[in-house]
Amino acid sequence: MGDATAAPPTNPSSSFLHLARPLAPAPIATTAPSTAPLNIAVQPQALISILDHASRRPADQDRVIGTLLGTRSDDGTEVEIKNCYAVPHTETHEQVEVDMDYQKRMLELHLRASPKEVLLGWYATSSDLNTFSALIQNFYSQQGDGTFPHPAVHLTVSTAPGTDVAAHTYISAPIGTTPERAADSCLFLPVPHEIRYGEAEKSGLEIIAGARDREDRSQPLHTDIETLERAVEQVLEMLERVSNYVSNVLDEEAEPSAALGQFLLNTLSLQPKVEPEEIERDFNSHIQDVLLVSYLANTIRTQIDLSNRLATAALTMGPETGSGDGKNDGERKQGHGQGQRGGRDRGHGQAGPGGRRGEQ
Amino acid sequence: MKAEWEFVVKVTATGANIYRRYQLPPPPLLDPATADHSTYSTLRPIQLTSTGKQPIMANTDPKLADSPVRTLQLSALVVMRIIKHSTTSFPTPATGMLVGMDVGTALEVTNSFPFPVSTPDTQAGQVAMNPADPYYQADQAALALAAPRAKGSATYSAEMLKYLREVNVDAQGVGWYMSCSMGNFVSAAFIENQAFYQRQTDERSVALVFDVSRTSQGSLNLHAYRLSPAFVAAMKENKFTTESLQKSNLRYQDILIELPITIHNSHLLTSFLHQLPTPPPSAPTAKDFPASLAELRADAQTHIASNPLAPNYDTLDLAIDPFLEKTSDLLLESIEAHTQEQNNASYYQRSLGREQAKIKAWQEKRKAENALRAQQKQPALPEDEWQKLFKLPTEPSRLESLLIGRQVEQYARQVDGFSAMVSGKMFGVKGGLVPGEM
Repeated sequence: MGDATAAPPTNPSSSFLHLARPLAPAPIATTAPSTAPLNIAVQPQALISILDHASRRPADQDRVIGTLLGTRSDDGTEVEIKNCYAVPHTETHEQVEVDMDYQKRMLELHLRASPKEVLLGWYATSSDLNTFSALIQNFYSQQGDGTFPHPAVHLTVSTAPGTDVAAHTYISAPIGTTPERAADSCLFLPVPHEIRYGEAEKSGLEIIAGARDREDRSQPLHTDIETLERAVEQVLEMLERVSNYVSNVLDEEAEPSAALGQFLLNTLSLQPKVEPEEIERDFNSHIQDVLLVSYLANTIRTQIDLSNRLATAALTMGPETGSGDGKNDGERKQGHGQGQRGGRDRGHGQAGPGGRRGEQ
Repeated sequence: MKAEWEFVVKVTATGANIYRRYQLPPPPLLDPATADHSTYSTLRPIQLTSTGKQPIMANTDPKLADSPVRTLQLSALVVMRIIKHSTTSFPTPATGMLVGMDVGTALEVTNSFPFPVSTPDTQAGQVAMNPADPYYQADQAALALAAPRAKGSATYSAEMLKYLREVNVDAQGVGWYMSCSMGNFVSAAFIENQAFYQRQTDERSVALVFDVSRTSQGSLNLHAYRLSPAFVAAMKENKFTTESLQKSNLRYQDILIELPITIHNSHLLTSFLHQLPTPPPSAPTAKDFPASLAELRADAQTHIASNPLAPNYDTLDLAIDPFLEKTSDLLLESIEAHTQEQNNASYYQRSLGREQAKIKAWQEKRKAENALRAQQKQPALPEDEWQKLFKLPTEPSRLESLLIGRQVEQYARQVDGFSAMVSGKMFGVKGGLVPGEM
């Protein structure tokens, strides 16, 4: 697969070639420097969105398509697919119709909300590449509305029942002997892709992945404490597995590996050497910080509650609700006096966290 | 050593007293005699203070019973979209629309899209366009928060919904979402947005709040809120005076109702998730093992760390200072705002008192005058003319102090949850590093 070798077309009736593209950044076009991406990163929400679209497709349609949005690095070699939206299209044996107006308006709407993202290409929910794919690909990579001068990215996600969900990414090069032929044919070149996710998405993915082993495919949200519990349990389980493996190796039941042993030894030596007194001191100061802030926060909450209640409760003692009564007014003032006192108490509270931060 | 423990116990015992006085669930008082050095008894009071953390659980909250929406089901797509939108726009809050459908008392959110943030017009923008300028940040935040009820967003979402309907998405607006940092979401803008939605779309709409800062600590922090019926009624009249609050008995605890959230995956996604991690070889042989340490490291880089479903251990992080500092700052801010409200209220009281004194003086004067005129057999002057002469000051709205109260409650709960987590972790570390101590 190293060199560009022509593979027999998968479908004899269609006019395209499967080519494996060399991974070295060699320009494909003979004259201009390449603007083609070498690596494509797909963000999980784009994939999930495609899968969602696939499960909402009309019953009579085998595949549905949509537009990919994302960012491109300055030289165009790195492409990150961040978002996508569905585009309605109909496909028969003879012809394909893509709602171009829809695609244009939707693109406009998306760019208004997230102006940093650009049009990257399109996706389809089957891994077939046929003449229609070539037509759509040429539509997406055309000048003007398309991705020109960069080639459009094509992402296929196979969603056929009974088979694995497999994703492939392609870019294309124009091919064809006559202009008429060139319009409905193109050369799909596979490009490597990876699923990339941000730090913040990790926790979201964790929850989503947590639902996969459940019968109802649902998962209630965890509280912080539950998440911690799960993490601790997972660590314990992994430690168990490692220690099982080690004891199996010692009992000569499992295959030993020098590299694994070295790695484990290195990890063990990471345990810090600290004096018990030091730990004791750090521990105590830390826990005191936490408890102090927690205590203060609750005190403040109570004070605010108190002041809110006093502000509204003073009047209920009076028999009248009118505002012109002198006695009534006096009572209300008293209530506010107490509220003010609460405020002063909070003044002490304010000194607390400030003082603590001063220490640090 | 002994003194430290006594401090711990004292702090929490006072906390327990405060709880009791306010008739929150009374935690059993800790007997100081049992508070010895064992981990359990020292941990217990901390866990008790965290009972306020999850105030609303499914079907246990009476406030939820008469709500038209009781549970919320999010699709994975919505979760990921909100996370992505919120983290890219951080620290400016992000807002967007939720679409889905309602099934009885459950609301299913199946898709979402962000609202466009209207940029200030360029002439005014010339000065304020510097992103380092704190006012620019504040402006952006205010703009983003105003987006859900802006006119432009309404047309935008109407158009978007029209297009989404064409591709078989459940195109019914079911609410909106926003991002926040460290739970600072309770503001007038938030309330107004939700009131706007709850008034508009058939009452069944929710506000999803995604906390960016707290999610980066390891646990997905997503909450769904609705305004309570009592608060909506008060909102409709737009009256938050002392009197109306007494009548409706509205407290800051009653403003928001939290809904339980579940996350639901489609069949297709479930099968995709199942095949994402490459399964380990069933019968490991010698050649499955890495040959050297370097290879193992490279392997770990490509396979474990980049696996999207790798377990997330951020929650085991021991750092406490950023959290405590930020929370203290936010608390101080709330207190300042509260003091300001208090000053406003007392200013109102003073001016009201002054006016009333004036009116009284005038009334007495008029009475004396009338008595004089009666003696002189002249017709009496009207005694209610004071209403025209004096204008009573209008009472400042108490809405802001209600919201501050709710916000402080939010912070306090957050701290409670955090201290419960952190003390658990710290005892664990201490136990691990000093064996035999406990």
